[in-house]
Amino acid sequence: MSRGRGWIPWVGLVAVVVAVVVWAVWPSGDQTDAERVRNITHQLRCPDCESLSAGDSQTASARAIRRDVTQRVAEGQSAATIKRAYVDRYGESILLEPERDGIGLVVWGLPLLVLVGGGVGLFFAFRRWRNAAPVHATEADEELVREMRRGDGAS
Amino acid sequence: MKHPARWIATAVAVVLVALAVVFGTQIGNDPRADASRSQLAGKDAPKFTVKTLDGTTLTKADLAGKATIVNFWNTWCIPCREEAPDLQAFYAKHADDPDFQMIGIVRDDNKGAVEKWVKNRGDEWLIAMDPGGNAALAFGTRGQPETFAVSPDGLIVGYQFGPSSVADLDTLLAAARGGVGA
Repeated sequence: MSRGRGWIPWVGLVAVVVAVVVWAVWPSGDQTDAERVRNITHQLRCPDCESLSAGDSQTASARAIRRDVTQRVAEGQSAATIKRAYVDRYGESILLEPERDGIGLVVWGLPLLVLVGGGVGLFFAFRRWRNAAPVHATEADEELVREMRRGDGAS
Repeated sequence: MKHPARWIATAVAVVLVALAVVFGTQIGNDPRADASRSQLAGKDAPKFTVKTLDGTTLTKADLAGKATIVNFWNTWCIPCREEAPDLQAFYAKHADDPDFQMIGIVRDDNKGAVEKWVKNRGDEWLIAMDPGGNAALAFGTRGQPETFAVSPDGLIVGYQFGPSSVADLDTLLAAARGGVGA
């Protein structure tokens, strides 16, 4: 690989990362009502069990939430409206994931920032190592090694 | 980049400060912290429909005009059993007040067990079943017992998470009558 085309792997790497991110976050087309209900209930915390979603829990509250969300989805309410209704009743802690606005944005953005920062850091580190002048042993270094070897042989 | 160590230290410091801000602001979102207060305090009581043991339908409209104590409970919860004597004593104190009512809404229990409980204990206030859990959900309950004070104009003015003593219930009733909020 010639030195002038060293950027090609980087472009390839960036293309792969972008493709994976786009694939992961791209809306997956029209959802059925059942899928919407499942998505929303999995974002709501079961009120009487701390770490399970209302979609996963079998408590009376979780079952009531699933029925309520099903009804609201059938009425055409958006996910944001439904989640807001629950926040109004229970507070922000009813949401299993932080909101993607305000301080919640920091929670989502920080890992990405660290990832990008790490990538940029690695890029500069690799470039510096690559551009560093190669180190060659001097005649004095080689003489020193020869002396040491002779010494090893004598002992 | 002349001083990479300085850059790295700065980046780490920025990340740590951001994390500290996030953690600091999210401490109040501990679900257990939310549980000790009701998000409905100061708001209109939610719409609900429940049926009393004799089949009478109760709705939000039935709260109007009276200072109301709404208690969510069931027969199998130990704190509810601990609270039961206080509820009885409190109700006996105020039962003759025409501007007061108490409604026990049963959360996650079966009617047979509740009827047996009420018969054995002689509870005289309104007891209503909430089989789908919709009333419990509308009030934003997290378990039982939970008790709400509703003013005659339909505002939620007091809340107690966990078992209430007679003194707690008196405070809730005072709030419902327009005194100090609980």
